[in-house]
Amino acid sequence: MSDLFSPEMLSFIAAALRSSTPVLLVVLGETLTQRVGVINLGVEGQMLVGAITGFAVTLASGSPTLGLLAGMFAATLLSAVHALLSLYFGANQIASGLAVLILGAGLSAFYGIPYVGEKISGFGSMAGVPLLGPLLGQLSVSVLIALLLTPLIGVWLYTTRTGLAWRAVGESTESARAMGINPLLIQWLGVLVGGLLSGLAGAALSVDYTSNWIENISSGRGLVAVGLVIVARWNPYLALPAALLYGGSEALYLRMQTWGVGVSPYLLSTLPYVIPLSVLVVTSGRLRQRGGGMPEGLKAVFKGS
Amino acid sequence: MKGLAAIVQHSSSRGALSALLFTLACLGFFWLNGHQPVALFREMVLGAFGDGYALSETLVKATPILFCALAVALPARLGLISVGGDGQLYFGALTGTAVILALGDLSAPVMLPLMLLGAAAGGALWGALAGALRARIEVNETISTLLLNYIAVLLVDYAVHGPWKDQSNLGWPATSPFPAGAILPTFFDTRVHLGLLLAVIAAVLLYIFASRSRWGLGLTLLRSNQRVGRGAGINYPLNVLLVMGIGGALAGLAGIAEASVIQGRLQGGLSAGYGISGFLVAWLAGQKFLLIIPLAVLMGGLQASADSLQLFAQMPSSSAVILQGILFAIVLAVGGRWRERMVP
Repeated sequence: MSDLFSPEMLSFIAAALRSSTPVLLVVLGETLTQRVGVINLGVEGQMLVGAITGFAVTLASGSPTLGLLAGMFAATLLSAVHALLSLYFGANQIASGLAVLILGAGLSAFYGIPYVGEKISGFGSMAGVPLLGPLLGQLSVSVLIALLLTPLIGVWLYTTRTGLAWRAVGESTESARAMGINPLLIQWLGVLVGGLLSGLAGAALSVDYTSNWIENISSGRGLVAVGLVIVARWNPYLALPAALLYGGSEALYLRMQTWGVGVSPYLLSTLPYVIPLSVLVVTSGRLRQRGGGMPEGLKAVFKGS
Repeated sequence: MKGLAAIVQHSSSRGALSALLFTLACLGFFWLNGHQPVALFREMVLGAFGDGYALSETLVKATPILFCALAVALPARLGLISVGGDGQLYFGALTGTAVILALGDLSAPVMLPLMLLGAAAGGALWGALAGALRARIEVNETISTLLLNYIAVLLVDYAVHGPWKDQSNLGWPATSPFPAGAILPTFFDTRVHLGLLLAVIAAVLLYIFASRSRWGLGLTLLRSNQRVGRGAGINYPLNVLLVMGIGGALAGLAGIAEASVIQGRLQGGLSAGYGISGFLVAWLAGQKFLLIIPLAVLMGGLQASADSLQLFAQMPSSSAVILQGILFAIVLAVGGRWRERMVP
C-alpha cells in the first residue's frame, strides 16, 4: 500500500490530471451540448482556435488569465457557426460539426504561423501557496478550474430548475415546449456553452500545459472527448474518470519513454487513442441494452438517418 | 427570405447559389488578408486549370480525393457517416508497403497487382473494423473512424521511424525508395498516374452496382427501413462490413498510390487532408457516385491552387483548408432544411 502514496505515484497522478484537464473541459462542455440534444464534432476545431487565440493574447498582454478569456471568446464565436448551421439552417449536425472542425483547423494553422517557436511563461507554479503548496505545486491553475467545474456542473444539471429545463429539452423538444420552455434558445445556449468550455480547454492546453503553440496542437483531444462523453454516460460527474482514460494513458506513455521501455515511442503514443476507443467499445454493449442515459433527442442523430 | 427560400427549392439553383457565395467568400478572404481580391482569384483559377501543367497537378490531387470520397459515399448508402478516409489511406499505404518490402525487386506486371491488393486489403481491414464495431455493438462509426485516423497515422510514423527506416537516409524517417517495379505508371510526362484511372473506374462500377444490381437495391431498402430490409432476408451486419470494407479498400489504394508515385517511398505526411476533402466532395455531390468525379477534380483544383496562392501572395497552404471549411459551411446552409419553414 505504501507504494500507492509514494512520491512517484503522486507525481504520476498529478501528471495524469494535468494532461486530462483539456479533455475534461471538452467532455464537460460537450456533455452539456449533447444534453440539449445536439452533437458537436467541431469541438476539435474550437479547441484549436481557443488555443491559438489564448496563446497570442497571453504573448501580447503577458496575462495568462486574459489569454484564457480570449480563447473562450473565440471558440464560442466559432461554435455559433455550428449552432447557426444545425439549429437555424437545419443542416445535418455531424456534417456541420465537421465543417466547424475544418474551419477551426484552417484558421488556427493560418493565423498561428508567426507564433510557432514563441514561448510564454503561463501561470507559474502554485508551490508557494501555504499548507497546500506541496500538492498544488504539482498541479496548475487550469487543473483546479476543471476540478471545480466538474461538481458545479453536476449539481447545476441535476438539482436546479434551469438544469432540469436543459435535460427536458434534450429528451423531447415537444414536451419541453409544453412546459413553457423555449427549446431553440436552450439548444443555442447548450452549443455556445460547449464552445466556451472547448475554448477554455484549448487555451488551457497552449497557455497552461505546453506553454507553446504548434499547428494542430490539440491532436484529436476534442474528438476523443466526444467519444468519452458516451463513456461517461452524459453524466458530468463521470466526466473526470472518463477524461483520466486519456490523461492517464498520455502520462503513462510519457513515463514509459523515460523508463526506457523497449517499445517504440510512436507505438506508445497510440495509447491515448487506443485506450479511450477500447473502453468505448467495451462499454457499448451495456449502452445498447439499457440506453445508457443517452438523451432521447440525440438518438435520431446517432442512429443515422 | 421567402423569395430566397423558393429559389433554393431547386437543386440546380442551390448549386449556383453555393458557387456564387463561395466566390464572394474567397474574394472577401483575400481582401481581408490585404490582397487584390480579383487578381488573386484569377491566379487561383489559373493555378488550378490555367495550363497543361496546372491541370495535371489538379488531377494528381483529385485522385486521392476521389478515392476518399467514394469511401464516404458507399457507406452513406446505408446511412453511415464514415470520416475514416485518411486512416484507411494510411493503413493501406502501410500494408501495400509491407508487400513491396516482402517481395523486393519484381517486375511491374507481377508487383503492381500484388501491391495494390495488399493496400486494398489493409484499407478494407481498417474500414471494416469500424464497420464491425457499428454492426455488432452500435459504436458510432463517425467517432470510431475519426479516432482510427490518428492511430493509423501514428502506425505509419512507427514503421518509418523504426523497423522500416532506411539507415542511409541520414536520419530522415522513411523507407528506402521503392523499386522500379513498384512505381505506378504515369501518363504524358506528368505525375498523373494509373490511380486516377482506377478511381474513375471504381466510381462508375459503384454507380452501376448501386443503382442497377440487386445488392444496390438491397442497400437502399435497408437504409430506408431496416426492419423491412431484414425481413426481406438482407443481412444488415454483413452489408455494413461490405460497404465499410470496400470503401476502405478504395482509400487504401489512394494511400499506396501516393506513396508509390508522389513520395516514391513510405514516409509520413502522405495525405494533405485528402480524407476530409473527400468527405466534403461526397457531401457536395449528395453522395452520388458519378457527380463525385467532377467535384473531386474541382476540389483537387482548390488544393493545387494553394501552391500558386503561396507563390503569388505568400499565403500559407492552410488557406486551402479555410476555404474548404467556408465552402462546406455555405453548402450546408444553402442545402439545409430551413427552406421548409419558409415555403409552405
